[in-house]
Amino acid sequence: MRLIDRLLKRDPDADLTDELRFHLEMEAKKLRDTGLAPDAARQEARRRLGGVDKYTEELRDVRGGRGWDAFVQDARYALRVSRRFPAFTLIVVATLGIAIGANTAIFSVVNATLLRPLPYPNGDRLALLYSNNVPNSIPRFSVSYADYLDWRAQTRSFTDMAAYTGGSLTLQTDDAPLRLSAWNVTSNFFDVGGVQPHIGRFFHDKSPPSETSSEVILAYDLWQRQFAGDPSIVGRSIRFASGTRSVIGVLPKSFDLDGRRNIDAVIVLDPQSIPNVADHGQHMVSVIARLKPGITQAAAQADLNVVAKRLAEQFPNGMGAANVFMAQDELVRDLKDPLLVLLAAAALVLLIGCINVANLLLTRSTIREREVALRQALGASRGRLVTQLLVESAELTIAGAALGLIIAYYTLVLIEKLAPPGLLPSTISLDLRVLAFTFGVAVVTTLLVGVWPAFRATSPRLASSLREGGRSGSAGRHALRARRSLVIAETALALVLLVCAGLVIQSLRHLLEIDPGFVAEHVVTMRVNLPGPRYNDSTQVSFFRDLQSRLEGRGGIEAVAAGNTAPISGGGIVTGIRLIGADRPPGEKLVSPVTGVTPGYFRTMGMRLLQGRDVAWSDQLPTIVASQAAVRAYWPGQSPIGKRVGFGRDTIGLEVVGVVNDTRGRGITTDPPPMLYLHYSGVASVARGMTLVVRGPGDVQAITATTRAAVGEIDRTLPLFNVQAATVLIEQSIGQPRLNTTLLSLFAGVALVLAAIGIYGVISYSVTQRSQEIGVRVALGAQRGDVLRLVLREGVGLAAAGVAIGIIGAFFATRLVQSWLFGIEKTDAVTMAATAIGLISIALLASYIPARRATKVDPLVAMRAD
Amino acid sequence: MFLSNVIERNRVHENADVLQGTLDLLILKAVSLEAMHGWGISQRIQQFSSGVLEVNQGSLYPALHRLVKRRWLEASWGTSENNRRARFYKLTAAGKKQLVEETATWRRFSGAVDAVLAIN
Repeated sequence: MRLIDRLLKRDPDADLTDELRFHLEMEAKKLRDTGLAPDAARQEARRRLGGVDKYTEELRDVRGGRGWDAFVQDARYALRVSRRFPAFTLIVVATLGIAIGANTAIFSVVNATLLRPLPYPNGDRLALLYSNNVPNSIPRFSVSYADYLDWRAQTRSFTDMAAYTGGSLTLQTDDAPLRLSAWNVTSNFFDVGGVQPHIGRFFHDKSPPSETSSEVILAYDLWQRQFAGDPSIVGRSIRFASGTRSVIGVLPKSFDLDGRRNIDAVIVLDPQSIPNVADHGQHMVSVIARLKPGITQAAAQADLNVVAKRLAEQFPNGMGAANVFMAQDELVRDLKDPLLVLLAAAALVLLIGCINVANLLLTRSTIREREVALRQALGASRGRLVTQLLVESAELTIAGAALGLIIAYYTLVLIEKLAPPGLLPSTISLDLRVLAFTFGVAVVTTLLVGVWPAFRATSPRLASSLREGGRSGSAGRHALRARRSLVIAETALALVLLVCAGLVIQSLRHLLEIDPGFVAEHVVTMRVNLPGPRYNDSTQVSFFRDLQSRLEGRGGIEAVAAGNTAPISGGGIVTGIRLIGADRPPGEKLVSPVTGVTPGYFRTMGMRLLQGRDVAWSDQLPTIVASQAAVRAYWPGQSPIGKRVGFGRDTIGLEVVGVVNDTRGRGITTDPPPMLYLHYSGVASVARGMTLVVRGPGDVQAITATTRAAVGEIDRTLPLFNVQAATVLIEQSIGQPRLNTTLLSLFAGVALVLAAIGIYGVISYSVTQRSQEIGVRVALGAQRGDVLRLVLREGVGLAAAGVAIGIIGAFFATRLVQSWLFGIEKTDAVTMAATAIGLISIALLASYIPARRATKVDPLVAMRAD
Repeated sequence: MFLSNVIERNRVHENADVLQGTLDLLILKAVSLEAMHGWGISQRIQQFSSGVLEVNQGSLYPALHRLVKRRWLEASWGTSENNRRARFYKLTAAGKKQLVEETATWRRFSGAVDAVLAIN
């Protein structure tokens, strides 16, 4: 039969429709004969026969469709079912959309960072080498140029090694001088990196320094911006404040070895520009190296350890320890852990979402028990029904995934808005890999939400429900038990997320409340660079002195000074010191952070001078002001005034003249370090770049304009850059915690809402199931309050079970966010208790609506309902 | 209260649908004399049973298709008494055998029920 149908391309459904139409006509005619009006007769006939759709489907079960036809039928049928339950469809698609959207958004970030290989040949063998400052626990300490040369000569694990350091160039243009960030690199740098130029060439390693020192390589962006992408730039000479250089090439567009740093140009590193370049204690450069094929990171580390130890024995200032880190890992160091935690949180949200949807599907399958049972009786195989139910779930998840992509897009907009500048690459997008991920999530989701309800719904036991004809067979009670377990599970998961979110929110609050030790309000910071050879130590100092005397009092500016690092910035000078005349253990190697400051720095920053005096322009030798932490570390219990500190090999030392309060100038979450503030004249040779701090009541633009004018009066070729309000610097330094906290809290919030919906759903269902029992209780004299309590107790019981399990889970999960926590323990009892109580209260609220409905049960109706 | 509930239930069951298993038997019996279309079968059953047994039209067509699938009935398109295109169902040889078997089974069953009822 089917074969013939198929050969003749006849639609078997058309036959069926004909047959049923015939039946309808005959029935209508018969009804007309009994005296019914034609319209009414047609209607009645139709009512007696039932829906044609329903027939076609049932008869297909009888015929037993297979293959593609069956699939298309299933898909159409599922769409019809979706329309039959619009509220159900809406809730399911929204839930899945949010859950899949959260996962897709976080995965897009992971995809653009953790999963992105370095864009260089064999980028997985590139390593970054650091000195390891063990006494101060700084594992990524700059390397001395002398160490670099010796490492390069003595290690055997690397094909080659190159050194580089940040720097700047001032480009002379027709209007204002333009400050470029320029890397100074050894001439083999690009060979080690394996980078090819966009056009032109890179430095020839064999060329003499006299040649390479007048060459420059431009970054792609600068070339586009400043030279309109003109390829004839190669070979041309351009003018810099420090002299003329000829352009030999342009960097590839994608060049960003560390992913974020803005780079405009590259020149060859001149070792002679490094003061005391032969000193192994002069840590000034970064080192990149390429591992030989087959050499592991551990082997390279062991090799370097041996060399570093030997060098430390040979040279008194040597660091003695070094670290090998893979460039690939270093790029995403700040991102990896938070991203994995957020990915896990998003996965939990998805799991909770799946539980809710599975719950809803279970409910619906109970409603559809009769339909399924009838079709089974008609001969539909279990496999066919399961497939069909799965196709229904798949349609829901596909709709959810589509919505998820939209939600992911907007989540990414939010993430990019919240992320501090430079944290994330600009390449985050919903690319093919992300789409594949979303598709994969959708498939897994379909299976998670669909399989169990589908098998349950088609369980042979249910066939009995046709005869029972009721909602309240034993199957209903089984379903209820299953649904209760699911709700307990999702409450537990939600609690875990909420506890983690609660902890990081409090951490963020602590971060916001931190006293940085200076008054950031009304301070504008900006960078200025005094290029050599035009400036030397003494003209550098007099520049700032001149600027201060010109600027203070002009245009409302109250105070101005300079420090060699911006407040709240990670870097800064760290150098070996000796405490002259102090009784210290022999052989002790003290290393201390040092900030070079001009007189008036503490006044400008709103810091408090606790003892002695500020450094002064009139000081003959550079003087020192110590922080409280430095006093505690170096001269415990003594007055530091008049004590002397030697830097490098100096054995006479410089005098401490004052003490200031501690600040968190090197990072808001870093405990105040033992900081030595050194008169700028002492660091001028290594600190040509300085950060001006300007205090005044005006807005940032006004203060910058006034400052720029004053700087121009002294030297009109000097650009001011990196202009930023100090408050913004603090904001940015907590940008990542804020982003992490926002996302985690969003996820936890979604989890809370979903858990509440889950509890509401299962309690509503339970009330429907128990309406007969409730009716009997009311008939026997139960009061409204009794019924309320009965239902609420069930809801709270579920929540309490979930909370109990969740608390145990939280003890493990909070370890993952431990590194995000600040000023709070990961097992904070108050947070756990408050979250538990909050969740149970929400459960109470979610149960209240069905509980109220239960109190309105009419015992007469309820007991007849079956 | 409980009593009224019971009475109401019984009234509902008075015009009960033909029981699942017996529908097949009734269909086979109805077409045993001549080939008939679906509507005719439903009318025939009602007529035979003097209106006591009413075939639920919702289960008739699925049942017909099921019987075709089991090769107890054969279906073909023909023209109805009022000249309309209609699908006629005819008993096959296997169907005849099945009818005999099911009739015997039913007799045994109803005889047993009678015997039980006769005890009072």
